[in-house]
Amino acid sequence: MKLFVCIDDTDNYDSIGTGELLENMMGEAAIKGLAKSGFTVRYQLYIHEDIPYTSHNSSMCCTAEATDLEAFTEFCENYLEENSAEGSDPGLCVLPDDENLDYSSLIAFGKRAQNEVLTKKDAYDAAESFPGEIHLSEHGGTGGGIIGALAGAALHAGKEEGRIKGKLQPLLNKPGWSLSEFASVYGVARFIDEDGNEITENLSIRFVHPTKLFFSKGQVTAVIVNENGSYMPKPKIKKNKEKSQ
Amino acid sequence: MTAWMEINGKTVFTGGKIAFEDAAREAENCPFFSEDCEDELFCDDETSCYNCRYRRWTAESFECMKRCPK
Repeated sequence: MKLFVCIDDTDNYDSIGTGELLENMMGEAAIKGLAKSGFTVRYQLYIHEDIPYTSHNSSMCCTAEATDLEAFTEFCENYLEENSAEGSDPGLCVLPDDENLDYSSLIAFGKRAQNEVLTKKDAYDAAESFPGEIHLSEHGGTGGGIIGALAGAALHAGKEEGRIKGKLQPLLNKPGWSLSEFASVYGVARFIDEDGNEITENLSIRFVHPTKLFFSKGQVTAVIVNENGSYMPKPKIKKNKEKSQ
Repeated sequence: MTAWMEINGKTVFTGGKIAFEDAAREAENCPFFSEDCEDELFCDDETSCYNCRYRRWTAESFECMKRCPK
């Protein structure tokens, strides 16, 4: 069964982040033969002083394929209870990924979570209005993480834009690629320029620096830039002492 | 100009989200600076309050969770 799996509010200032916890959880689920997971997408939710986020109020969601939904969900629940940080308010959402389902009410909730302060009741109401099965559970603290967990899963189901967790690293022994080769090897489906325009030409690129990928229009997307006459995935490099703007 | 102000008992960066040089300077001189996870980095500077795990974003700026209000 295909799923969206989203967790939120699992961290504190000194713990690993929620995205890393999600990846660890899915890694262990894979080892146990419970589920295989896809990439993780970060969704930015509303920043407001009335929302008790740790530092940035983002929610992390991945796709997964589970062999036994009940066993997988129970595993996630136990994992969150055992591994969430002290003082956090963890929430879990497991949502079926099924093109026949109407996600519109959930997507509306997800978009609201990016623009207004919501309550747990709002989340439970939205989950109840969903015509399919949905798992939403609290795992400590106030359990307020269900708001972000539901929002993240809903936004992913709605193919809303988010950043894909981590960086794509170049294969050191192959700097030169055509875009079609790059797409095939790295699983990138879509290329855009820095203005967001689609690139359809099969450009030759150099891939020598790590880059960030995005989830956009429901597809894994890379930004291609032209630097000194060479096309390349937009480098993600930290500057030392040099100012960015 | 001081980089910090106290608002309702919270220590808030005065530069908003665009004072990259000030944020870098403050972080260089801060004993608590600790880089956040890669996915939450805000700017390209190696060391910047904008990239610190102890900053808490607000609508206009961020609050430092390590600096006590004076």
